[in-house]
Amino acid sequence: MSITLPTYSRLEIPLLGRRQRVWAIIATGLRKELRRPAAIVVMALGAAFTTITSIAILFIATIIPSGQAPNLTFFSGPASNFFVLFFVSLMASVIGAGLIADDLQSMAFTLYLSRPITQLDYLLAKAAILAPLVAMVTILPLLLAALVAAFLGFFSWTIALEAMGISIVVGGLLTLFYTAITLFLSSLSRRKGIAGAGVFAVNFGLTIPAEVLTIVIGNRSILYLSPWDNYVAVATAAFGASSTGIDWAVALAILLGVTVLAALVTYVRMKAVEVITG
Amino acid sequence: MLVETAGLTKVFGEVRAVDDLTVKIPDGAIGLVGPNGAGKTTFLRLLLSLLRPTAGTAKVLGRDIEDGLAVRERIGYMPEHDCLIPDMTGVGLVSYMGRVSGLDRDTAMSRSHDVLQFVGVEEERYRKVAEYSTGMKQKVKLAQAMVHDPQLYIFDEPTTGLDPRGRSEMLDLVGTIAKSPGRNVILSSHLLPDVETICKYIVILDGGHQIAAGELSQLLSGATDRLRIDVRGDRDAFARLLKDAGFDADAGPSGLHVSRKPGLEAAVFETAKSLGAEVRYMGKEIRSLEELFLELVARTEKPGA
Repeated sequence: MSITLPTYSRLEIPLLGRRQRVWAIIATGLRKELRRPAAIVVMALGAAFTTITSIAILFIATIIPSGQAPNLTFFSGPASNFFVLFFVSLMASVIGAGLIADDLQSMAFTLYLSRPITQLDYLLAKAAILAPLVAMVTILPLLLAALVAAFLGFFSWTIALEAMGISIVVGGLLTLFYTAITLFLSSLSRRKGIAGAGVFAVNFGLTIPAEVLTIVIGNRSILYLSPWDNYVAVATAAFGASSTGIDWAVALAILLGVTVLAALVTYVRMKAVEVITG
Repeated sequence: MLVETAGLTKVFGEVRAVDDLTVKIPDGAIGLVGPNGAGKTTFLRLLLSLLRPTAGTAKVLGRDIEDGLAVRERIGYMPEHDCLIPDMTGVGLVSYMGRVSGLDRDTAMSRSHDVLQFVGVEEERYRKVAEYSTGMKQKVKLAQAMVHDPQLYIFDEPTTGLDPRGRSEMLDLVGTIAKSPGRNVILSSHLLPDVETICKYIVILDGGHQIAAGELSQLLSGATDRLRIDVRGDRDAFARLLKDAGFDADAGPSGLHVSRKPGLEAAVFETAKSLGAEVRYMGKEIRSLEELFLELVARTEKPGA
């Protein structure tokens, strides 16, 4: 027991608004992740590996004679880089899986909701922690590849800048999708391991069977089951490259639909979580 | 008024957790008691604006609970269960909660040091919460409720899991807050002596209804036209003999309750003499909160009794 027991005095300062409260959750969450060895390793490896491979893919595409001058379609290669799928899964599992699950496990969710914030504020803050980290493998490599290619003189700055703009949009789409899916899975269980496994299941459990079945059956519409193939179809179309065999508009609708649905279900789920027990 | 409800009702399927509750709770230290399933938790959730009422209205500190953010800005909530973020330090957690409540970074940090010192965790504030003992965790839970210096504190079973020393320290802290000007306390507890120690006003709920509310001293003092008599000996026989002598007497768990009437004192001592019993107390009917609680709950369980 403190000797200087009742020393504190009533605070008479106005409280900051909701934006600052949400920002406090984001800043603390990001700081926490940037201090966690597992998260640092995954982020560093993911960003480095996807960037290097994206640059290599772009470089190879430009040196192989294809009979056409370097143009925007060359950027569909780095955008379809399979390492992005691997590292986005890893990053979502290592960083995102625990974002809500840990709060449910420790019941810290009660503390958050006893504060002057809403469930939506909480979810937006959690999404804002995960999204920039996911963007390190979904957007950053594409931007850096375009930048390096322009510096080395493989592409004109006009094409590179256009490619960077498209990269932000398609990479942003992938970032939103994985952020929503990961938070949804994280909200389903108090154990982050289950959520992490769920991210891998959604990616590889759908992508690999869908591609195998497409080869076996010969019906490409099965690829609509795979989030990665939907993304590749949209990215390829955005960079003006030839179609991957599935309609990019349908693929885009599926990606956006699933993103919105996952976000809505997560919100409803968080609204339903018991805040006070006992 | 601290809390004002009118016809407040919350229904979960078939269960009416809070049923047409109309209550006016004045400022100060308020005890919220009731058996399991009485609706205390639902009532707290409604006050924190974490549930929408099925019917009725409620105001906390003059603000409608529909305006949840404004209500929660003024409330510090200490949950019953473990809810701390284990990988944060004590000071980190409390200051973080201060910032989520709307304090700026510097104020949150200085306040967290202040309140951790107040609750007595100043030595261990840089240790991770996961390493804290149950008593320290309870104190950090109290500190995070205090950090933004709210007008109303809601304590849900604050002494749960504490050893006698920890319980005494926690009650001291809660009592200090309750006595501070400008601060109000709602203490929900199964431990009625805790409520009796801290609170001046109590609300007793059962089955979603309010079965009693008022100043603790008035509720415990009982009817002025009745006396309580503590007897060592056969109380039932004592009550029977008094009834035979024309007095309205009941033998209860807390003693005999007898209506005042001329000649009562003489009859009591006469009866004691004839039974060889010992009269240990005869005076104003003062009950403990536990006795009152049991009596009221028994009355609601047996309507008309």
